[in-house]
Amino acid sequence: MTLIDLSPGEVGTISNIKGNRHLQNRLVELGLLSGTDVRLVKCAPFNGPVEIKVRNSYLSIRWDDAQLVELK
Amino acid sequence: MTQDSDWVALVGNPNCGKTAIFNLLTGLNQKVSNYPGITVEKKEGTVYAQGDKAFNLLDLPGTYSLSAESFDEQIVSDQVLSWAKGENPPAVIVSVVDASNLSRNLYLTTQLLDLDIPMIVVLNMMDQLKDSSQIEIQKLKKELGVSAVVPISAKMNWGLDALKSAIQKSLVNLAQTNHQSQWISQDISDQIKLLIEPHFSSSKFAAAHALRRISRNESLNGEDYHIEAIRNSILELGYNTDTLEATLRYKWIDGILPFVQPKIRTKIQKETRSERWDKILTHPLMGPAIFVAILYFIFQSIFTWASTPMDWIQAGIDNISIFVLSNMSPGMLRNILVEGIIGGVGAIVIFLPQILILSFFLTVLEDTGYMARVAFMLDKSMTKMGLHGKSILPLMSAYACAIPGIMSTRTIDSWKERLVTILILPLMSCSARLPVYTLLISAFIPPITVGGYFNLQGLTLVVMYFLGTVTALMLAKIFSRFIKEKSSSSFVMELPPYRVPITRSVIRQVFIRGKLFLVNAGKIIMAISILLWFLASFPKVDSSLTDVNPIHHSYAGKIGHAMEPVIRPLGFDWKIGIGLLTSFAAREVMVSTMATIYNVEDRGDETVNLREAMRNDVDEKTGVPVYTPLIALALMVFYVFAAQCMATFAIVRQETNSWKWPLFMIAYLTILAYTGAFIVYRGGLLLGYS
Repeated sequence: MTLIDLSPGEVGTISNIKGNRHLQNRLVELGLLSGTDVRLVKCAPFNGPVEIKVRNSYLSIRWDDAQLVELK
Repeated sequence: MTQDSDWVALVGNPNCGKTAIFNLLTGLNQKVSNYPGITVEKKEGTVYAQGDKAFNLLDLPGTYSLSAESFDEQIVSDQVLSWAKGENPPAVIVSVVDASNLSRNLYLTTQLLDLDIPMIVVLNMMDQLKDSSQIEIQKLKKELGVSAVVPISAKMNWGLDALKSAIQKSLVNLAQTNHQSQWISQDISDQIKLLIEPHFSSSKFAAAHALRRISRNESLNGEDYHIEAIRNSILELGYNTDTLEATLRYKWIDGILPFVQPKIRTKIQKETRSERWDKILTHPLMGPAIFVAILYFIFQSIFTWASTPMDWIQAGIDNISIFVLSNMSPGMLRNILVEGIIGGVGAIVIFLPQILILSFFLTVLEDTGYMARVAFMLDKSMTKMGLHGKSILPLMSAYACAIPGIMSTRTIDSWKERLVTILILPLMSCSARLPVYTLLISAFIPPITVGGYFNLQGLTLVVMYFLGTVTALMLAKIFSRFIKEKSSSSFVMELPPYRVPITRSVIRQVFIRGKLFLVNAGKIIMAISILLWFLASFPKVDSSLTDVNPIHHSYAGKIGHAMEPVIRPLGFDWKIGIGLLTSFAAREVMVSTMATIYNVEDRGDETVNLREAMRNDVDEKTGVPVYTPLIALALMVFYVFAAQCMATFAIVRQETNSWKWPLFMIAYLTILAYTGAFIVYRGGLLLGYS
């Protein structure tokens, strides 16, 4: 299960982040560690970016990148 | 910083209110480094505190971490790296932290703690907390081991004096630092001993730097063996080497937070007010509609609100020249003053109101957090055109001026999308083109209503903006096919909560923009106006001997006539030729050039009304009007496309670090401008217009 499998408003817990080193590092630096809770806020239409809430901040991540964030 | 005296660095995450704090601390005592020929945009200021010595403050770009992703962040990490090597480090670091989001904001703070430079942590946005006792200040100070933790609210304007005196205090007694952040675990620090570089003044920073090298798999000369081996043994310990530094730091931060803010438990489920706003503002249908409405409102107000102050400025300029004329004895000095300087500079100062209004709106949209939402909404369509969601701010800023637009592309983390944005930016009609459009439209386009609703003058202006923007987007798509990506693109962006902008900060921001415009543009224009006056006035010909206006025999006249064969096919005469030439310094110089030429030509005592002068200008032999609406239209189209602003290309050279891209831009823009004007003029003639 990944971030995009959540429906808006749903909360999940991060288990792992795939993808290249840049993306992994950036997401972890912004607080998306394994074990951190994340809520899907909304999706932009036509597979545009998704908005998530993590550690009291809102982040926008591209659809393709969101698929690489695996949840427990 | 130019001098090596004690100075203070201001650092923090994007959206933590750092710029507002900088503006509030320094007031108007700040300077943004000049555009041409700089290496890094630096915002410096001097802080004066009552009774104490003033100190210098440097505002660094907002960044989340020292392992750089975007160009903007690279600036900060390069600076910090040089401090770590002992190259002119600040005496004190002020780390600004958003109090409502401690865990993520402390990440950068712990990276800076490694430097062992005295640090003050500023807890900004204390007003956002339900109760200011939610964060235990003394515990935080103790856990981090910093010189001071100062709670403030830039918005409510409290705590700034306490911050000033805390900085003063730590500048006076620069004690040994006692930073506590033990984020690196023993097993890791055992592994990386071989990678510690001796030239860093702090061992903790050296360790962090080693970890960054491991994660980048970046070896120093011939040390590949070490890096590979150490990577492998760290992997065997069960760590992910790609995210090692971040994981360890967050573990440490998450460990101290329960002591620092025992009462706060982040409930990410709770829907905030910003989210409720977003239901409308980023709604799939309503969102874009609202954005278009806002754009329309901004452009409308630039023209309606600015007209009254522009009239005042015009009246002021007229009064000044009348004053000079009636108080100075006739002579060359008076001529330079009235025809050259007052005429030329005055023609530019008049556009100040429009620039102030546009910067005001852009600052407000940015400070409220709305621009980030626009980037979120438009990212998908922008990517389709070869751009990036974050391109929207540069594109909109470029309506004011391409230079801040190009600089703001630094936040785009993909090199390719950043380059494409830079390449098309000069096509967005900047405010320097506005004087040219306004002059030509008011002189040659009749103020009639067409289609029942639209004023033809306003419509013409909209068409010019539209032409530039649409061409820009089409070219973006084409360019992106031919440019190779250097690194993979990502789009991770923070959507800060909606905030009411801080009035004083916005006003100062707008004021500084205006000052920059006047000083930078003013200097160039003053110099060119004087030079041009000489070129247009000399060599002197005895006007009683010839019936042709002596300006034809002047140096300027000769240059213009020499250019005529090239620009004649576009309908332009020698006067416009001179204008095109001087426009290369800055586009708005076109207007002052024409003003100077007509003033010299007029040989009368008063400053001429440029609009009237152009409209009434007839060929001395045939009596046919020199300029027609069609020529005016062709000239405007030329200005939509032409590569004319030296400063733009200087900045592109600097930002892309090569001459290849600015030269490419000059080439493609020139071809576009000539072709565009040619089609309009020749096509118009064929259709029977004149």
